[in-house]
Amino acid sequence: MSARRPTTPVFAAFGLLLALAGGAAVHAAARAPAEAARIAASAALVRDLGLTDLALFTEARFTRHPALADLATAFMDAPAALDHFPSGSLMPPPEPGQIGQYGQSALGVSAQEIAR
Amino acid sequence: MKHWLRRQRALADYTLAAAARRKGKNIALVAVFSVVVFAVASAMFFAAALRTEARAVLAAAPEMIVQKLTLGRQEMIEAEAIEALRAIRGVAGAEGRLWGYFYDRINGANYTIMVAPAGEAAPAPGHVRIGEAIPKARGFTYATAPLFLSRHPGDLQKFVVDQTFGSESALVSADLVVMNEADFRAFFALPAGKFTDIAVRVRNEREIGTIVEKAARVLPEARFVTRAEIGRTYEKLFSWREGILTALAGAAMLAFAIFAAEKASGLSAEEAREIGILKAIGWDTRDVIAMKLWEGALISGGAFLIGTLAAYGHVFLAGGTLFAPVLKGWAVLYPDFPLTPAIDALQLTTLGLLTVVPYTAAVLVPIWRVASADPDRAMR
Amino acid sequence: MITLQDVAKFYNEGRPNEVRALEGVNLALARGGVTVLKGPSGSGKTTLLSVIACMARPSAGRVAVAGEVVSSLPERYLTELRRTMFGFVFQRFNLIRGLSVLDNVLLPSVPLGGERGAVAARAMARLGALGLAEKAQMPVEYLSGGETQRAAIARALINEAPILIADEPTANLDGHLTGRFLEIVAGLKAEGKTVIMTSHDPRIWGAAGVDRVAVLEDGRVGAGGA
Repeated sequence: MSARRPTTPVFAAFGLLLALAGGAAVHAAARAPAEAARIAASAALVRDLGLTDLALFTEARFTRHPALADLATAFMDAPAALDHFPSGSLMPPPEPGQIGQYGQSALGVSAQEIAR
Repeated sequence: MKHWLRRQRALADYTLAAAARRKGKNIALVAVFSVVVFAVASAMFFAAALRTEARAVLAAAPEMIVQKLTLGRQEMIEAEAIEALRAIRGVAGAEGRLWGYFYDRINGANYTIMVAPAGEAAPAPGHVRIGEAIPKARGFTYATAPLFLSRHPGDLQKFVVDQTFGSESALVSADLVVMNEADFRAFFALPAGKFTDIAVRVRNEREIGTIVEKAARVLPEARFVTRAEIGRTYEKLFSWREGILTALAGAAMLAFAIFAAEKASGLSAEEAREIGILKAIGWDTRDVIAMKLWEGALISGGAFLIGTLAAYGHVFLAGGTLFAPVLKGWAVLYPDFPLTPAIDALQLTTLGLLTVVPYTAAVLVPIWRVASADPDRAMR
Repeated sequence: MITLQDVAKFYNEGRPNEVRALEGVNLALARGGVTVLKGPSGSGKTTLLSVIACMARPSAGRVAVAGEVVSSLPERYLTELRRTMFGFVFQRFNLIRGLSVLDNVLLPSVPLGGERGAVAARAMARLGALGLAEKAQMPVEYLSGGETQRAAIARALINEAPILIADEPTANLDGHLTGRFLEIVAGLKAEGKTVIMTSHDPRIWGAAGVDRVAVLEDGRVGAGGA
């Protein structure tokens, strides 16, 4: 009689995709306990060794330990040091307004006073 | 209801039959669209996984780190500072930390060499525990290979590897070399009584602000980094990147929609004529609009599903291999870390809306006028 | 069945390029039977058919179908009416290229949301009656002129409309196909359908099955003989 309706294969494909999406959700849920255990083990290592940063970008001091870097760290080597690591484009500069943005000055002036 | 469903299915049939007339072009459209979605969704999943891990793992970081700054540069801090900090009320303990970077001339990699804090089993003299990326970077072929470090030409220090941290903790330990304090001081020619920084534990986390104030009075030249700030740094890193990603995604989808609108805006005489014919044979404006909505939804919805599913597989099953070069940058070492499947529903919904709505609107807008015209007029 | 009272249709009214396609048309068409509207080109035949089939609203006057005035109804109702009452065969047939014959024939049934199996069966039956059953899956651009016309007729009839309207149905065909067309019209008349068409072919005016011929001249309908 008539040929197969075009919606049949297309809707079936969508159904398949949705089923896969469901499968992905199930996969995520199934992996959750193992992942939680793994993360807990990592956290234990962090606590034992007293670590503060992720080893994501190992090129330079301020990319390897961004949490301990301040605005001046990137310029430690030279006042006008330009960003020459590709990871610099992925790392935002440290947030201003933290205590010790440039470190406490010798006169003991706080960051808020400087901002004012 | 059944009537409505049948009507929708018949409209979708027509849409697909009409689209099949230019099969190649439409398949290419879906393919390209899917690739765009794939790229954005991959980045999204990757960032979400890292953020989940960072949050959980760095919650165990020390409550406060104290650094000494001189002339804006970080300097070694003296042991007296440790005593001064211990004296502050509310401080449960303070330990000097010894760590630094070692640039390995042999392969251009940067290692983080550190000493295990007191209380943690330190390696024996001449022994080290290393992260999983180091054997790979040095091309160790057997498990008991020793680690040779050379500080300058002609120098060679041998260390026996006790243990290699597994890739489960690679995200925090990949480039670590944990050694014994005496070895560390000898290696870096550091006199006793100097430390890189000080890790402080406090009794009550809510007191941290007060303790920082007191510490600042005691050590005016020091810089203090609290655990909250550490967390914020990484939150900021991931949300900044995601903000950029969303902006890029929005821009990409908008560009795509504009491209689609551009193609359709001339509303070819052929298409206008066809809509006129449909209206003349009994379709009303609603039917024509519904048909166009199907077209927009099938293409963008299909691209979204395909792209997102491929992204999930790419990131969580294949470990995000396409990103590695981008993230690795110039670093010789790159952690081979597993990624936790973590999906942010809000983000996924946003991506879905960004994918489907602009494209469908772009498909719909050009034909609006023609769809509502008198069929008589449309066909002339 | 269909009455037009003082129907006028202007295009671009009031502007320099104003066209007065119809003026003061009065016409009454009875149920059943075959009516032919004849007139020279430019006399407004196509416009008149559009108005009769509720595809265009008259600028003035009233159109009534089965007693009800329809010319002022909102579009939704007109569309509904168009779907159920009229089947239209265009002068250039206007099939959608790239789709198969069957897909084209099924098109008017899409908005009605009927059960597809039943509608498809009806379509195949009609195509069979018109001699196109084997070509149902063929893309319409491969059909000959006569086959295209018959496919257009099948499309016009898919919703079982009682009134078939055809605009110059044989104008784009070879002469020898006119006879075949008249046979089809006779068959539809036997089914009880009303057929209204325009033509400038004398063989059609004078055909045996034609019940009434109305003359259109300069937008007005003159006296017609039967």
